[in-house]
Amino acid sequence: MVWPLLRRLFRTVLAVWALASSVFLLSRHDANTATLLFLPDSSESVATGNGNAADYAAAQRAVQHRLGLDLPLFYASQQPNAPANTAQWRWNGTQNQYHRWMVRLLHGDLGTSFRTAQPVTTRMCSALGFTLPLTGTAALLAVLTALALARRLAAKPWWQHPVRAALVAVHALPLFVLALLLLLTFANPAVVAWFPAYGLDQLAADSDNWSRTQTYLLHLVLPVAALTLAALPELTLQLDAALTQELRTDYATTARAKGLAEGAVIRHHALRNALLPTLTQVAELLPAMVAGAVVVEVVFALPGMGRLLADAAAGRDYPVLVGGVLLTGAARLLALLLADLLYFWADPRIRWQS
Amino acid sequence: MALLAPYLPLPYPPHESDLAHVAEAPYSMGSTGLHWLGTDPQGRDVLSVLVFGARTAVLLTLPAAFLAALLGSLAGGAAGFWGNTRRLAVPYWLLALGGLWWGLRFPVPLVGAGVAALGVAAIVLALLRPRPIPTWPVPINAIVMGAATTLDSIPRLILVVAIAAGSGVSAPGLLALLTLTAWPHSARLVRAQMLRIRTLPFIEAAHAAGLSSCKIWLHHALPHAIQPLRTALPLSIAGLLGLESTLSFLGIGLPPDVASWGRLMSAIRNEPDAWWTLALPATCLIASILSLNALGRSRHKSL
Amino acid sequence: MKPHSSAFFLLCAAIGFCSQSCSAPEGKDLAIRVRCAYDPESLNPLQLPNQQAFDAANLLHVSLLQADFSKKEIAPALAEALPTAELVGDSLTRVSYRIRPAATWDTGGPVLATDVAFTLKLMFCPGVPNETSRLQFGFIQGLIPDPHDPRRFTLECRGQGTEYQQATGDFFILPEAALDPQGELRRFSLAALQRRPQNAPDSGLAAVARRYRALAPGKLPGCGPYQLTAWEKDRYLAFRRKANWWGSRLRPTPFVLQARSQKLAFVIIPDAATASLALQRGDLDIFPQMPAREFARLRKATAARPALSFYSVPSYDVVTAGFNTRRPALADALTRRALSHCFNAAGLLQATQMGEGQQTVGIISPLDRQNYNDSLAPVPFDLAKAEALVRQAGWQRRAGTETGWVRTRPGSKQPEVLQVSMRYRADETTFATIALQFKAAAASLGIAVSLLPTEAGSFTTALRTSDFDMYVRTLKGNPFMFNLAPLLHSRAIGQSNTTGYSGAASDRLLDAIAVAENPTRRAQLLRKFQTLMQAEMPWVPLFFLPTRIAASHELTGLHVTGLKPGFALTAVERSAKSTPTP
Repeated sequence: MVWPLLRRLFRTVLAVWALASSVFLLSRHDANTATLLFLPDSSESVATGNGNAADYAAAQRAVQHRLGLDLPLFYASQQPNAPANTAQWRWNGTQNQYHRWMVRLLHGDLGTSFRTAQPVTTRMCSALGFTLPLTGTAALLAVLTALALARRLAAKPWWQHPVRAALVAVHALPLFVLALLLLLTFANPAVVAWFPAYGLDQLAADSDNWSRTQTYLLHLVLPVAALTLAALPELTLQLDAALTQELRTDYATTARAKGLAEGAVIRHHALRNALLPTLTQVAELLPAMVAGAVVVEVVFALPGMGRLLADAAAGRDYPVLVGGVLLTGAARLLALLLADLLYFWADPRIRWQS
Repeated sequence: MALLAPYLPLPYPPHESDLAHVAEAPYSMGSTGLHWLGTDPQGRDVLSVLVFGARTAVLLTLPAAFLAALLGSLAGGAAGFWGNTRRLAVPYWLLALGGLWWGLRFPVPLVGAGVAALGVAAIVLALLRPRPIPTWPVPINAIVMGAATTLDSIPRLILVVAIAAGSGVSAPGLLALLTLTAWPHSARLVRAQMLRIRTLPFIEAAHAAGLSSCKIWLHHALPHAIQPLRTALPLSIAGLLGLESTLSFLGIGLPPDVASWGRLMSAIRNEPDAWWTLALPATCLIASILSLNALGRSRHKSL
Repeated sequence: MKPHSSAFFLLCAAIGFCSQSCSAPEGKDLAIRVRCAYDPESLNPLQLPNQQAFDAANLLHVSLLQADFSKKEIAPALAEALPTAELVGDSLTRVSYRIRPAATWDTGGPVLATDVAFTLKLMFCPGVPNETSRLQFGFIQGLIPDPHDPRRFTLECRGQGTEYQQATGDFFILPEAALDPQGELRRFSLAALQRRPQNAPDSGLAAVARRYRALAPGKLPGCGPYQLTAWEKDRYLAFRRKANWWGSRLRPTPFVLQARSQKLAFVIIPDAATASLALQRGDLDIFPQMPAREFARLRKATAARPALSFYSVPSYDVVTAGFNTRRPALADALTRRALSHCFNAAGLLQATQMGEGQQTVGIISPLDRQNYNDSLAPVPFDLAKAEALVRQAGWQRRAGTETGWVRTRPGSKQPEVLQVSMRYRADETTFATIALQFKAAAASLGIAVSLLPTEAGSFTTALRTSDFDMYVRTLKGNPFMFNLAPLLHSRAIGQSNTTGYSGAASDRLLDAIAVAENPTRRAQLLRKFQTLMQAEMPWVPLFFLPTRIAASHELTGLHVTGLKPGFALTAVERSAKSTPTP
């Protein structure tokens, strides 16, 4: 069992590396925008300067040099404006952006952010510190609630139809609508102001530990609720459908024929098989947890990975973006292993793929 | 009704602003007629936007969801059924490699052409004189799961934001983007189910009966393997509708002359008092998803 | 079932917590909290990436001259008085300053002319992130220190113009003693550094650059009134007033050197709806640039309960629609003027800004009575006139079932079709409304308009590479500078002249405005320029936006003006008699 596992690991590492490389290489096509965003947009405001294009070009080159964008991108490059049907490839040697990036990466250095000049690792660690408690709690709550709810629903109580309809309805609403609704209801002085409206603004840091924890938890309630509500319907409905299908199979009938109560049939026989398709989804929650939830972070003004990455995409901060891709890739790697292990546990018929 | 939208006698076109009547409550008088359901913060008639938004949803989100489900079930089904065991004759490999070399314009394109010609020649030879030709395995599972993993590793929203930031958003572009980001999910679901199904007795029986594996896959295995999609599809439609509106929320959406329920809903952010811009499209959205869901269930039962 | 109920329990407990903590009077410190939509990213005074960063740096550093929000004019800050300018020959200006004797660094050392020289050299020191400053202050070619007074110096500038007096005082002065104790930069003259190639190695310069880059963000010592006490990325920046700041020893304290509040904080709240809630709850004190409708709604709603005050004054930011004059269809003024009549500026102003703000004839603010050409009228919304102008420009209705306009230029076979694509930043609803209105109006004339909402970064690139037919954006002006050359001069085509407009008459006028000897002459030229622009119409200035600020009722001394950031942050204070907000 170890060898296939290792092989699988290796393959996923390869996939993550390929992904990060392609993101790295593709992003550099837009490097011009990155330099443009660095310099003041003199077409936007009335300011000093005589609008001399040569000075601007010089400043642009200086920015590119400082960011290391003036090197060739890859070991080989296609020569621009070479005549068609001739050899257009040129060898650049190891003095290229990709090589530099790879060497640094192997040393565990993700580079420095273009925009803030801070190490990418520092930024991601501080963002993860906010994201993981948020998304982790939400994922845990969603999974547990989904399990409990699906088990109840499978027993076909009288409330199954309204609950299913409600779940579908909640799922139909985009996350930002859910988040805004929660915010405008529970943090609005015009309705009820039970929860703080924004962020983890702990300027009053001189308070004691207990009250700080209390404030922290209080700030997390609405975002966690929004995320849980968003993740819950899909999990529950999927699990519910799988359970319903399993309960119609022969072995469930046999179990019932043995005289087992419906609840026991669900718990001991059907649930394990029904979990199978759901496990993929649960495993997919892990990378999503690491990547953060940009919408919830924007609405509740939380500093997390989602906002970090979205801002990086908007500000063309490629080192941060590539770092984020690597991180979620690593989380994905873990999730895949986890899913396979769970499969193995849930359905021993599945053998390791070659 | 969505398809009939252009012919309905609506008092206002969906993309024209009634500047004098911005964010008015339902049943208020506009400049050329009644705004039955009010206007949004840009002065567009909510009723028209709802009707035309349904059209956008039908013409954009539904195809995207179905395409993604189709692509996902085919790819995931193949990956689950055959794993990495499928083999392909070497000449086809040569043909593909040569074509790639030529296409990417690597140095000395004639090498690519030569390799491709070699492949074609081998195929022709094999056709003329049937005898066993060497085969190389095609790792379908590895390719499909690799592609899915690669696409999934970037959170969907970030991917869409990055692509949209780079190239802008148009309706066909959004369709492709939605399909591209949505298929891995259904592929995974179908593959997981397929892994289970291919070990079931009836598949083994079909193998024993001497049916070709393609036939078994298409006629016997796949219909069962796509079972999880019945629930997933309405949800994925909802997800895609939500994604489109989330893009508007983040400031990279469709052009404003394409009516969208999502954009209408995101107006609540600028105008917390205008409940009608949230409640009406949300009701439409929920109603349509519920009916899709009911449709899925009824088909499920009839099977 | 257990997790189910435990989740419920958790929720109940949390509600319990909050009702407790929300009802209890919070031990809040008295920092004045200002909303920011995004993080300043970097506080490097030589390369400030955005307005937030500029506002924050303004608290930490002082420049020679600063805008006085109470009088709306440039006032001396670190300088003792406004500078004197002297023209040398026909291409040089010498601007003389003297630094306030009271001005000191935190270490106690005086601020001297050598610090100014150091700052200017740092702008050209390789390896330092300084490209913005280099671009902006490249016109200063030398600093001549006064041999008798270490605080007196003269800046030598290339070119001549009335605006040099202000432009030379617009950078933050940095301490030489802290950043370059060995005096490495003293080995070079400013001109030598400017001429020096970027990659020429020098260990001394590299050491200075290394030291500069190694400073923690925001920890660069400055002579400003505040120091940064905390900076949590994407959350907040907190500032505390220095205990013994030199500016507070001046009697009377000049307005630009006031630092009233003990503590200030920028709170980063990306979403406007969230920020508005925070403001209503008293978690936020100042909300600059509040969205128009929310502002109006709150103003109406809080009339009975005066916890907030609302300020709205005209700003210097003008919403402008520009044409790409390089496109053959838009190359002639008649077509551009025809299209300009399709904008319903008055209606848009009402719909997007609730009627606040002002229509305008050009990009000079109507507030500026001296320079604004009041003999012109804003372009009216007139579709009949537009159609007449389209015909006049040589366009003909397409025959048959197709709609639209075509024309064939003399000398070309291919008929051109009148259809435009309009680009604007996708995150601005105002622009979307403008685009929709324009599209509808143009459609009624049979002109096809396609809308291209574009993400901010791509928008910048698209404008630079002239990948547009029309655009809508905000042009930021100010009451002190009238240097329109970068925006419309032919030498800035391909760079900051996005419309690609050029004309001998306009180039002449722009050059004359830049070197005008006195304000009266300049006003004459500016008026003439506005007339010319209205005839040529490379862009359509639609209306000036208002500055809207909602602030806590307890705050005094906001001095709300149209200048960025809209209010005098350092002069704000909480009035002593007020009670805490409920």
